[in-house]
Amino acid sequence: MIIRLLARRPVAAGIGLIAALALPWLIYPPVAMDIMAWALLAVAVDLLLGYGGLLSFGHAAFWGTSAYTTGLIALHTGLPFPVAIVGGALAAAALAVPIGYLSVRLSGIYFAMVTLAFAQMIYFIVNQWRDVTGGENGLQGVPRELLGADLSDPFYFYYAGLPFVLLGLWAAWRIVRSPFGQVLVSIRDNPSRARALGYPVDRYRLLAFVLSAALAGLGGGVFAISHGFASLHDVYWTTSGQAVMMVILGGIGTLWGAVLGAAVIVTLNDYLATAGFEETGIVTGAIFVLIVLLFRKGLWGTGRDLLTAARARRARPAESGEDRKVEVATERPAAVAERSGG
Amino acid sequence: MIEQAFNGLVGGAFYALLALGLAVIFGMLGVVNFAHGAFYMLGAFGAFILLDSFGIGFWAALVIVPVLLGLVGMALERLLIRRLSGLDPLYGFLLTFGLALILQDLVRRQYGVQSQQYARPELLGGTLNLGLFDYPAYQVFVLALSAVVCGAVWLLLTRTKIGMIVRASTEKPELTRALGIDVSRWVTPVFGFGIALAGLAGVLAAPMRAINPLMGGDLIIVVFAVVVIGGLGSVFGSVAAGFLIGLVSALGNLYVPALSQTLVFILMAAVLLWRPAGLFGRQEGLT
Amino acid sequence: MKAKGLSIAVVTAGALLAGCGGGPGGGGGKISDGGVTLAVLNDQSAVYADLSGKNSVTAVEMAVADYKAKYGDKAVADKIEVISADHQNKPDLANSKAQELYDRRRADVILDVPSSAAALAVATQAKAKKKIFIDIGAATTELEGKQCNKYTFHYGYNTYMLANGTGSTVTADGAKTWYIVYPDYAFGQDMNKSFTAAIQKAGGTVVRSDPTPFPNDNFSTFLLKAPNLNPKPQVLGTMQAGGDLVNLVKQYNEYKLQDKGIDLAVGLMFITDIHSLGPDALAGTTFTDPWYWNANQQNRAWADKFMAKTGTRPSFAHAANYSAALQYLEAVQRAGTDDADAVVKELEGHTFNDVFADNATIRAEDHLLLHDVELAQVKPSSEVKEPWDYEKILKTIPAEQAFQPADGSCRL
Repeated sequence: MIIRLLARRPVAAGIGLIAALALPWLIYPPVAMDIMAWALLAVAVDLLLGYGGLLSFGHAAFWGTSAYTTGLIALHTGLPFPVAIVGGALAAAALAVPIGYLSVRLSGIYFAMVTLAFAQMIYFIVNQWRDVTGGENGLQGVPRELLGADLSDPFYFYYAGLPFVLLGLWAAWRIVRSPFGQVLVSIRDNPSRARALGYPVDRYRLLAFVLSAALAGLGGGVFAISHGFASLHDVYWTTSGQAVMMVILGGIGTLWGAVLGAAVIVTLNDYLATAGFEETGIVTGAIFVLIVLLFRKGLWGTGRDLLTAARARRARPAESGEDRKVEVATERPAAVAERSGG
Repeated sequence: MIEQAFNGLVGGAFYALLALGLAVIFGMLGVVNFAHGAFYMLGAFGAFILLDSFGIGFWAALVIVPVLLGLVGMALERLLIRRLSGLDPLYGFLLTFGLALILQDLVRRQYGVQSQQYARPELLGGTLNLGLFDYPAYQVFVLALSAVVCGAVWLLLTRTKIGMIVRASTEKPELTRALGIDVSRWVTPVFGFGIALAGLAGVLAAPMRAINPLMGGDLIIVVFAVVVIGGLGSVFGSVAAGFLIGLVSALGNLYVPALSQTLVFILMAAVLLWRPAGLFGRQEGLT
Repeated sequence: MKAKGLSIAVVTAGALLAGCGGGPGGGGGKISDGGVTLAVLNDQSAVYADLSGKNSVTAVEMAVADYKAKYGDKAVADKIEVISADHQNKPDLANSKAQELYDRRRADVILDVPSSAAALAVATQAKAKKKIFIDIGAATTELEGKQCNKYTFHYGYNTYMLANGTGSTVTADGAKTWYIVYPDYAFGQDMNKSFTAAIQKAGGTVVRSDPTPFPNDNFSTFLLKAPNLNPKPQVLGTMQAGGDLVNLVKQYNEYKLQDKGIDLAVGLMFITDIHSLGPDALAGTTFTDPWYWNANQQNRAWADKFMAKTGTRPSFAHAANYSAALQYLEAVQRAGTDDADAVVKELEGHTFNDVFADNATIRAEDHLLLHDVELAQVKPSSEVKEPWDYEKILKTIPAEQAFQPADGSCRL
């Protein structure tokens, strides 16, 4: 009964919403905001990987570009922070056009390497463009202006930042379920066939890339305002890597899984750091390796399989047909062809 | 100017050694080894630990460390990476990314992030007169040794039967399998060999670069760009691009210092526009 | 887990206090949150880990012990806790850790914070949270300049002091032409500016100054360039610190620049740097040191106590952390409360002498600590009599000459 109720989308979304609203009551509010911002970045990566078959290892470029742009707008114009965040997301999307144009020519492992390399290029540019970005110092003292409201308490700021995250998550959900999303999935599953059917494959991929970058940018903007800071770490490759880890941990191609992955990793990092254990890579890396080796469907996918199995045991045994397809998707995230030349 | 060019080639030697290992591993296993930079770092730490704790010097380390790391690599292939064969190659990339994080932070836990020092071997302490200018002897040695190693590997790949198999499966994987050649026997040793090359580069780096847990992470991304420029399927292309990029970034440093770090990526973008499979890669079969 | 338990305890304590009618900061000898918490926020794993790092936490604990021993039952702060956090030299981490220390772990004061970028970030948090921050590890004059604030103090040294001591002296001794290389972040940029000003004031010229990436392990481009500059510089002034400095000096010796007539001057050197390079690599180099463990009997006695606990001799940063913690506690004692505004009032304008600071004043206008500093020279190994005995004191620069006059750029 409960299982069947949980499976209904509005119910799941409602539970998610309640959890998001309750979060700062349960944990340290800045950490709650971090979870939400990272969730957006992870969802952005999952949008590309789970539905487009493209593993971006360079989303820090968009997250960071938006963090800096948001910070610069907020610092220099005194505009309310929502304007700054939207500006940041637009800048991230704009940057994604040239990077995406070059990268979507490749797929699979090449795509991952090239996006990683471009992100590192952005890192070096941000590092060297000191007059604007502050170089090693980062952008400090980014204000949280909102029509004179006092948002200095992170608890209240959480509720001011949350709408952006929810907006982003909703957009991702819409994209995936739109006709555009369907075409994207068919390109992922068989690019040659999609091409034969007359779809401009590269243009679809580019659009997905830009949309994903905008989502990552939304997250980066919220993050910058929340911390009052944009730093080189935001554009560093470890940020891209962490987002990918969140997606794999949560489950590729599920969106909800990415959110779950973000929550787990941010909380874990915070717990380890508070306990004085700074080398979080040992723990997160080990968990990640285990997931890749044994639970490639991630927490969400594995959990859903268990639920389905439980349901199937009670009902007819043939009910898991729908999930088989997702399983294929999670087992083979990338296009089939990148090494053999499809 | 010539001095700077020389500097560039020395820097390129490291790219070349790492790219070579990466290319060979990719060819045999279809795995892009993200942990390659971590093994480079372990190579440098290996030399440091041998000297610091056991009093074993540079020359012995030059042999011991690559062999040990090669064995570690073989074990890793057997225990972990093999389990992913047949799956999408991205999983190999992800697995090695996780391994890189673990290795990097394990070393960080033990030694912190501050740089360790490693004295130059006595024999190579001074400078060498190269006709036009004096140059540190150690750097000359690095350049010479890496050229010899790359040359030897090239001979190995072109003149021996094992080499032929490896090269065939690197450059024409489907054809090799179609011809019924059993490549699986060679997977583990080749992985170990690629790791050993990274370890060798690490030992060579120990006396001239700061030894710290993060030294591999940044380098490997540049090496990825190098490999994309050279063509991932091409062993020769990887090595050539390695030296080329070293040269270009050193000269860039001299003439356009603002771009010195971004130059390699700009070059990569240009190559992607012009020849998406890399300068020496096969152009068909990418998308 | 620990933090959670702590915050529950804190809430209960706060409720109890409020129940007594004197809320936190209510004055009248009250200590908020059930005790005084001193937080050391510094680099415990990256380039500055040796010269300050975990041993600074030990130094602060020594100050707490000395305070307790001095006042016994009369101590206003009877429950004192020392906590620490690692910012790994990243300004973003420093920013969020500072927020966490003030909010979640109830720190009353944050100490140390090396690296200028990190220090400026923490100063912003101190201002927002209205809690005290005493910076020791960072050198930027911005802390007492444009970015100063009511709750931030700068303790120990700054770029003006280093440049004024080293740059002026070396130039006045005849080395008129300089080539400066500096790490490309707040500290390096500030050092470059301060040194250039000091050199020009002393009648010298800076031929060229180049920023280098940070951190960086390969300085060959810059070292090769040096002899070909026109005019050829007499001194290579390096503003690198920590591990980068060690690398640069190694490579300077490899390229044999001294034989080519280019001497080395070091902007900021810690005794730990000399220790890791060995004194011969640096012998004869002049530099400014805010404090040297073997300069007098008092310092030596403290250094012995420090060594018994840590196994190493203290750098000036360790001594300064001790002193800052002690002076903070003394100010709490005088104020009778740990309320930040009251303690700030006690610190401002305070004059004192302790093991670290001679003829010391905390300048009220900009919260900069003025004190006597040493001009030192590295001994060759032949003159080194015991481990860590690396420095010869050339002269003592009196407090009022060592630091910049308050220039009015700071509005508290």
